[in-house]
Amino acid sequence: MTHTYFLQLLQGLQTSLILTVVAVIAGCILAILMTMALILKTPILDHLSRGIIILFTGTPLLVQIFLIYYGPGQFDIVKNSTFWYILREPWFCAMLALAINSAAYTTQLFKGTFDSIPSGQWQACRALGMSRRVSLHILLPFAIRRAIPAYSNEVILVFKGTSLASTITIMDVMGYAQRINGQTYDTLVVFSVAGFIYLCVNAILTLLFRYIEKRALAFETQS
Amino acid sequence: MNFFDSGYVTMLAQASLLTIQLALSSLVIGLILAIIFTLGEMNKFKWIAWPTTLLVTMFRGLPELLVVLFLYFGSSQLLFYMTGEYIEVSAFTSGSIALGLIFAAYAAQTMRGALKAVPTGQKEAAKALGLGKVRTFIRIILPQATIQAIPGLSNQWLVLLKDTALVSLIGVTDLLKQSQLITAYTHDSFTWYATAAGIYLVITLISRRAISYLNKKLAIPGLGADA
Repeated sequence: MTHTYFLQLLQGLQTSLILTVVAVIAGCILAILMTMALILKTPILDHLSRGIIILFTGTPLLVQIFLIYYGPGQFDIVKNSTFWYILREPWFCAMLALAINSAAYTTQLFKGTFDSIPSGQWQACRALGMSRRVSLHILLPFAIRRAIPAYSNEVILVFKGTSLASTITIMDVMGYAQRINGQTYDTLVVFSVAGFIYLCVNAILTLLFRYIEKRALAFETQS
Repeated sequence: MNFFDSGYVTMLAQASLLTIQLALSSLVIGLILAIIFTLGEMNKFKWIAWPTTLLVTMFRGLPELLVVLFLYFGSSQLLFYMTGEYIEVSAFTSGSIALGLIFAAYAAQTMRGALKAVPTGQKEAAKALGLGKVRTFIRIILPQATIQAIPGLSNQWLVLLKDTALVSLIGVTDLLKQSQLITAYTHDSFTWYATAAGIYLVITLISRRAISYLNKKLAIPGLGADA
């Protein structure tokens, strides 16, 4: 019995993983853009990033998913526009919510790492006659590498967050678990197997990031 | 259609109150569990420390939704196996326990770190002054560890506050569930979900204010960040 559950739940794993990968990549790009806006103090974008951070770190992810999935349907303008074509797709909405949510937390993280660049490094760049732009080019890669340990937590949070996509009809691991639970009432076994899958993926992610950390931060440990 | 005359606003206000109640009861359960987990993890007997660490790590790796659903659907099944009777556990109770467990899994880590952050010299000094073990822990170690733990714990409180929304999925009429119910009548999904989001945001922002006030109050002059 456990074996059949496992195979059924594995079908959902693919959806969970793809959702995670796309949301993490989209979230990371957005986070870099938002961090740039905050650092360079770009007039309007700066306030926009701040607003997104307050809004998306201050409300539950589930509410954000519901708002993005069910919300736009209230307006006829949206329904008649070309965007409706993708906005009615639950997969896209879940991805969007996860990506913006992750971007908001990641921006805070990136900004924090940026702020913790020792001022001596800035001064060294200045002493060498570099402009602010060029200094950024030099310092940013190191700052981003230092953010990796904390960023790995963020990726795991996104993966855990994909389980919420099951609430808007997406058949991920959690979606299948809930369906099988509804069919068999074998709650303890089904959810244990699902939990086992989530734990395995998280363990692999943790090990993977530990390896990446070692490689990326090699320049620090050598000195 | 008028937003304020509809009576829906009162419903949402009541639901917000329920959300806060849920968060507070989860906090109490979570803190008690966190202390138990911390004691377990720091236990000198390996056969207590190991399983506790495993349990805590497991809860941190599982999706919150899974824990909530597992406890809600699983608890009555488990009670059925144990007692042979069908006992229904209320969604509010099992939801608070699930959220409390998740809170405790993270809080235990914070507490352990805070206890370890107190220099051993403090313990030795207390011993040199002739203080007993219990007295040393309560009067010397604990107050210092508490201050260390507050930032981590308050962060976890903010996470807990947001996780309460999950309980709407097992039928507790909290803020999210209530807005879902209202939406079913009015079809103004954006209006009501946005209102719910706004209320969550207000609760979070007020919490943040209170936390920074608390931090300022508790800080020891000349020690830590503001030194």
